[in-house]
Amino acid sequence: MSRHVLQAVGLVRRYGGLTAVDHVDLVAPPGMITGLIGPNGAGKSTLFSLLTGVEQPDEGKVVLGNTDITRMRPDIRSRRGLVQTFQVPSLFPTLTVADNLLVGAENRRRDYAGGLLGLSAQGRSRVSHSIERGLERLGLAPKGPVTQIVEEVLDSLGLSDVRDTIAGTLPTGALRLVEFARALCARPDILLLDEPASGLDSEETAKLSQLLRRTAAGGVGIVIVDHDVDLVFSVVDQVYAMVGGRVVASGDPETVRNDPTVRSVYLAQAPLAVAGQSGEAR
Amino acid sequence: MTSIDLALAGLSLGAIAALSGIGLLVTYRTNGVLNLAQGGIATLVAYVFREMVVEWDLPIWLAAVVALAVVSPGIGLLLERLVFRPLARRRASAAESLVASLGVLVLSLGITAGIWGLGARSDAPSLFPNSSVRLYGDSRVGVDALAELVMVVVFTVVIGIIAARTAFGRQIRAVVDDRQLAELSGVPADKVAAAGWAAGTTMAGLTGILLAPRFQLTPYGLTLLVLETFAVVVAARLSSMPVAVLTALGIAIGQSELKQFTLHGDAGQILTVLQSNLFIVALLVLLLAVPKLRELGSGDSGATASFSSRGAPPSGRVSGVRLRRDYLGKLGGGALLLAPLTFAPSDLRSAFTVPALALIFLSMVIVTGYSGQLSLGAAGFAGLGALLSLKLANGDLFGLPAIPGIASMFLGALFVAPIGLITGYPAIRRRGLTLALTTFAVGAVVSRFVFEQPTFATGLYLDPLSLFGWELSEKAFYVFELICLGIGLLVVRNLHHGRLGRALLALRDHSEGAAAVGVDVRNLKLLAFTVSSVVAGLGGALLVHSSYSFSADDFAPLQSLLWFTAVVVFGADSAAGAIVAAAFMVTIDVLAPAGSSTLAIGILALALGWMPGGLASAVRGGVRLLAQYLADSFVDPNQRAPRPVPVRISAVGHLPATTGITGSTGIPGIGSTLGAARAGHYARWPLSGNQLGLPADAPRLTPFGASLVAMVEQYAAGQTAVARQRQATAGPDGAPRPAVPHLSRADAGTHPAEGGRA
Repeated sequence: MSRHVLQAVGLVRRYGGLTAVDHVDLVAPPGMITGLIGPNGAGKSTLFSLLTGVEQPDEGKVVLGNTDITRMRPDIRSRRGLVQTFQVPSLFPTLTVADNLLVGAENRRRDYAGGLLGLSAQGRSRVSHSIERGLERLGLAPKGPVTQIVEEVLDSLGLSDVRDTIAGTLPTGALRLVEFARALCARPDILLLDEPASGLDSEETAKLSQLLRRTAAGGVGIVIVDHDVDLVFSVVDQVYAMVGGRVVASGDPETVRNDPTVRSVYLAQAPLAVAGQSGEAR
Repeated sequence: MTSIDLALAGLSLGAIAALSGIGLLVTYRTNGVLNLAQGGIATLVAYVFREMVVEWDLPIWLAAVVALAVVSPGIGLLLERLVFRPLARRRASAAESLVASLGVLVLSLGITAGIWGLGARSDAPSLFPNSSVRLYGDSRVGVDALAELVMVVVFTVVIGIIAARTAFGRQIRAVVDDRQLAELSGVPADKVAAAGWAAGTTMAGLTGILLAPRFQLTPYGLTLLVLETFAVVVAARLSSMPVAVLTALGIAIGQSELKQFTLHGDAGQILTVLQSNLFIVALLVLLLAVPKLRELGSGDSGATASFSSRGAPPSGRVSGVRLRRDYLGKLGGGALLLAPLTFAPSDLRSAFTVPALALIFLSMVIVTGYSGQLSLGAAGFAGLGALLSLKLANGDLFGLPAIPGIASMFLGALFVAPIGLITGYPAIRRRGLTLALTTFAVGAVVSRFVFEQPTFATGLYLDPLSLFGWELSEKAFYVFELICLGIGLLVVRNLHHGRLGRALLALRDHSEGAAAVGVDVRNLKLLAFTVSSVVAGLGGALLVHSSYSFSADDFAPLQSLLWFTAVVVFGADSAAGAIVAAAFMVTIDVLAPAGSSTLAIGILALALGWMPGGLASAVRGGVRLLAQYLADSFVDPNQRAPRPVPVRISAVGHLPATTGITGSTGIPGIGSTLGAARAGHYARWPLSGNQLGLPADAPRLTPFGASLVAMVEQYAAGQTAVARQRQATAGPDGAPRPAVPHLSRADAGTHPAEGGRA
């Protein structure tokens, strides 16, 4: 299955007299990491909500692959492969880590009625459960694709040990990781990450950027909005710099870093090397 | 009467509604709590006032001073100190405060009904003389209306000035924004909150005293009247006092103006209902029309997760022990439910109500406990189910032929589904407070326009139920009820398990997060509401058959509030809790005077501040603590190494808003027993050594544990010897099944180290 490109075409969002997003075009191809930077109030967050479907644009459209998804609800976008994470990790605190991931993995279908009648494949009855257990003992465990994905993601992110921990009891760093894992389980074409490094220490941030690279190498497109300029510049393949609702520069990190407008507006206050430390306090 | 006269006649009611609205707004803007108990407090104060004037013969002015300057603010101060301050201290969600105020409502209803009974009293004294002033021409306006208007204006202006111009007003805004932060900045938050409560309850008392002489004084009736004035604060979007006042006057005058019209036929009937129920209709219309209330704080995300703290049933393997325990619990519960079959006929008849009520409670578990929506309209659905099934049985519905009793019940319940679906639509975009009020308004409108209307709800007769030509005896009917309850439980089980169950819990825990990974939030909400309405409808149909009559009072809007509180008290996410709640209420009402169950539920609801998650959660926690205590007396807690958490813990990170979950972070080095006990449930600390994968010498036993193990092993060794002896005597073939070696093996496995040492 080929993965889709995410495109924003001429997006405009106004709040009264203020134009928060002003004719923004953006292309996020699969397998690449796209960064979105800009000072506070530049319209990053608004653009992000337009992409995720939390808000609707006044003009322009959002296209995933060949489909116009501008008017689609967030959950429909997610089922089509556009999955987001939140600034504040948004796990389901009463479910275990594994169940959190399962919710991520198993909701590409919408047929909930079968579950109501007790017919759903995952809503196994005790009988089918014991049959399954028997098969497992014989080494014939029938792992559905859904469970399989969850196990794979748990393994590859090193979360197997907390799989049965109730998510609400995890510390922030782990929450971020689990949320990321949950998004991966939804088999995204494009991942939208809203400040994934906030609340993480430098070591965790380094691990996160490794993880992002690995994920992108697997063919997933990633769009990342973060205040941590170091993180953004260290992992991205391309950057969009926003000021006052407009994209003022875009391209590979080096080009954007050296763009005069970006330097004057966003990076001017500090030398490049320590830009991250002087980033806005949150 | 001319339009002007009618308008003047409506003024007084409008002014009273405005006073009620001001009271609600004052409490809300100072505490962030929409005080649903306003009606209950108003009624209580009105009864106290009447008692003082009529029974104790106090002069009216003195009684008024006592009621309004002592009793009313006293209630407010007490509530703030005992109920809402603890909630604010632990930053309880808006949903929890809402439930607490429901608890207060139920408690005040219980107190009023307990002391003065449920009967109506028409001798409530009036605060103002019953005279009127001539305005011009023949138009006259009552002294009471004038006085009330003056009060409204004075209060609005004074409160407006305090809020906008004084330091106290600034302090109020600071406290409401962030109580803890305000305190750190030196604002006496508790005093501000207490002042807000005292002012709010005083206005409530005033509303009650003014309303009582205009209508009959009954606990439920007066309370509902005050609840209807919520239309006013919704129009004000919970913030603007002038808008509230103008809306109150507008609706009251509009209602009064309707009296000059007469229509015939169905329209006429609707008009007649509107002439006295414009407030409740306005409440529903406004809730549907006003896009968003200006809720304080972050609104209501995580709506009800805070009082339904239990997660999904395990999706992986279930241990045999746990399975056996589950089955044992279910068998025990089933046996208890069958017990009434041995009762005397009259007691059996009382027990009829239990399964019916339990079904209605289950419907609330579905919507509130599992999918996280606050729904206060259960009585409406139950009543509709009852009415529709009766009409089907009577051959009186849409020209359908008469359908036998039992089939009509199920069909009638199914017919409620579309109404549940429609009610679910507002839930897609609304939640928390707004949704709670919307569902309440739906229930109230249904009650006023359907249940209380003679064309719909009279002339219905209840035939005895029969199955295949056999008339159901009382015992058979009870069994039938249990079967219905079983069906309900099955539905609830399916809603709680597997993919559907996880999706619903995800929706409850974090609806945006759920949508972000593709959970169909919209359809799931609709599904929950629809299924819930059908279950409630079936419960309602059973309720009517168990009480042998349809009464609008059984399905009055206030019932929804009482029932909802009961469900939350007994654990909103617990199906067993729903059944226990039903049994509890029915038992209390049978054993104690009528209305006692209301009082009991109210008292328990106030205790929610100390036990989030309800009784069911408290019981679960108690069992857990006990288990941990036993484990601690067995294995030295300081020697039990905590389970390693592989993901590094960030020191900068704050714990996210996972309200309601008590638990430790799993940080290594938690030494405390209690910490371990809490973590025990969530992190699933294995108690036995070999599962933990610790080195063989890790779990050092306490002296008590060591002696216990020694005892067990001694016993086991003795038994083994006995068994061997028996085996030897019985010969190789007829040996009895050697259960004892099995035991000793298990024991040795659990405590490898001790086994070696002993």
